[in-house]
Amino acid sequence: MTVKALYDYEFPSADRAEVFGDDQLVYVLWDGNPLLCSAACFRVPKATSFAKFLQATVYPWAASDPDFDPDTVRDWRLFDEPISPAADRSLAQLGVGHKALLKFST
Amino acid sequence: MTIEAAKPTRKKLPLKERYARLTRDLDWEPSYVSREELFPYTRYEGIKIHDWDGWQDPFRLTVDAYYKYQAEKDKRLYAVLDSFAQGQGHLTLSDASYFNAIKLFIQGVTPLEYAAHRHFAFLARHLEGPAPRFAALCQSIDELRHCQTQIHTISNYNKYYGGFHSWSKMHDRVWYLSVPKSLLDDAMAAGPFEFLISISFSFEYLLTNLLFVPFMSGASFNGDLPTMSFGFSAQSDESRHMTLGLEAIKFLLEQDEGNVPIIQDWIDKWFWRAYRMSALVAAMMDYMLPKPVMSWKEAFELYFEEQMLGGLFPDLAYYGINPPRHVDDAIAEKDRLSHEVYRILHNFSFAAALTTHTPNDTHMEWLSQQYPDTFDRYYRPVWNKHRRIEEAGGRVFFQGLPQLCQVCQVPMAFSEVSDPTRISLRRSEFRGEAFHTCSDGCKWIFDREPEKYVQAWLPVHQIYQGNCGGATIPEVLAWYGIQDGENGEYRGSADQLAWAAWHADETGTAK
Repeated sequence: MTVKALYDYEFPSADRAEVFGDDQLVYVLWDGNPLLCSAACFRVPKATSFAKFLQATVYPWAASDPDFDPDTVRDWRLFDEPISPAADRSLAQLGVGHKALLKFST
Repeated sequence: MTIEAAKPTRKKLPLKERYARLTRDLDWEPSYVSREELFPYTRYEGIKIHDWDGWQDPFRLTVDAYYKYQAEKDKRLYAVLDSFAQGQGHLTLSDASYFNAIKLFIQGVTPLEYAAHRHFAFLARHLEGPAPRFAALCQSIDELRHCQTQIHTISNYNKYYGGFHSWSKMHDRVWYLSVPKSLLDDAMAAGPFEFLISISFSFEYLLTNLLFVPFMSGASFNGDLPTMSFGFSAQSDESRHMTLGLEAIKFLLEQDEGNVPIIQDWIDKWFWRAYRMSALVAAMMDYMLPKPVMSWKEAFELYFEEQMLGGLFPDLAYYGINPPRHVDDAIAEKDRLSHEVYRILHNFSFAAALTTHTPNDTHMEWLSQQYPDTFDRYYRPVWNKHRRIEEAGGRVFFQGLPQLCQVCQVPMAFSEVSDPTRISLRRSEFRGEAFHTCSDGCKWIFDREPEKYVQAWLPVHQIYQGNCGGATIPEVLAWYGIQDGENGEYRGSADQLAWAAWHADETGTAK
């Protein structure tokens, strides 16, 4: 179904990839931790390595929970697919695209 | 004054006849433009109206009767406001934390009244029948009055408490207020008939008691006489709006059989939209009132399950209308909704124009009694952890920004219907882009009209695009209009400290 309108209803998406240039939005969910209400949303360069993404972005956020221990992070998933991301690969190389959802457990 | 009123030369017509002339005889057939040119918006939605005079307004209101009645109500309200203000009534409220509920109200609800006023004025011009046009005009004036009386009622608190000063700007900018704002924007961007089903029926009829009564009874329980008086003043209008909503849907259903599936679709959409917004009211009822009145669950059972599913929908079945799609999900969530949503506010109140706090023992006991199946099992352990951290001098805030639902714009914090411990995540692909929604209800709404919802102004993504004052939290808060001390944790906030000081003056000791 499409929008009923009196004119051609064609508008760009507000958050399309090109708006973010060399960056992209990535969501990260700490699965099973009820202290943090939802997944977080980050803007990061597509070229960021997974290691840097963890150190500079994900771990500081996860430390919102004072019990967070980076050594316990396991079971990465891209949406629902289990993945084993190599630390030196970039998000783009890992197939983590614009508005992708990563999940981990502890 | 010695001016004598001119004596009427003729007797006034009886009320019924005046109403008939106002809503039938004053209309005319256009002669130099076609009806289609005069009323361009009443055909493209697919709704067919064969006889606009089939509209029956049970109130048969006329202009003079309307103004006389409203003026009397306003006089009574303003008398209460004056005496409350003169007697420093704000000091007699249950606790300063109560104001968080009223901040949410003026930031979230009052601007909706104004938006509704604007769009009912649009309907008062563009509906084809004179009787529905006049009904829309009266409601347009009502909504403007509600907006004004709410501003006047609540502005008295602006002298003493934070979070009341820039509500209009905040409504347009702040993340949790995009939830109500985007709902009304969605309705105003729809055609006139969809607007009637969204606002007059789904909002004003299906859910109005659930949305407004909790605020007003919360006000009454917590000593907020002005807000309670405003509620009474608005109540008779609201019952007229409810009647209009019911009349609107019956009128549309009776006009043409082809209207039925279109209207069912709109009911399915707008029930879920309005219900998702009411999640904020659920959090308010269960967590923000120092003296809670009734739980969300109890209110949902009474005002929605009993009155709407039990009373209204069996009547609508006669027209071929079913209960809203996804209504079972709403029922399944009633034990969790408020807890999941207050958790969001508690995580993010550093960026809100209100404060939050971990519930105390008495409050947790009340929650445990109201939610015997869920509170002790799923939510008390989390609040206990917050308490442990706070007792050690910490306070958990979410050090980042949340993922938002593309449709309702609430952070994606709702749980799976089948599992309260798992977050419900839905995804659609449209033109090669991923769009995330919080529930089957919101995903269904997105997939129905993706071209509309891809345009959503999602506060988190807008911050990341650089459209909200800057990249740091202080810059965004300044752009929101939030001042230091009116956000974050309640304990130690400007409101709490002032409250304690005022009461220490009275009794010699701080409460």
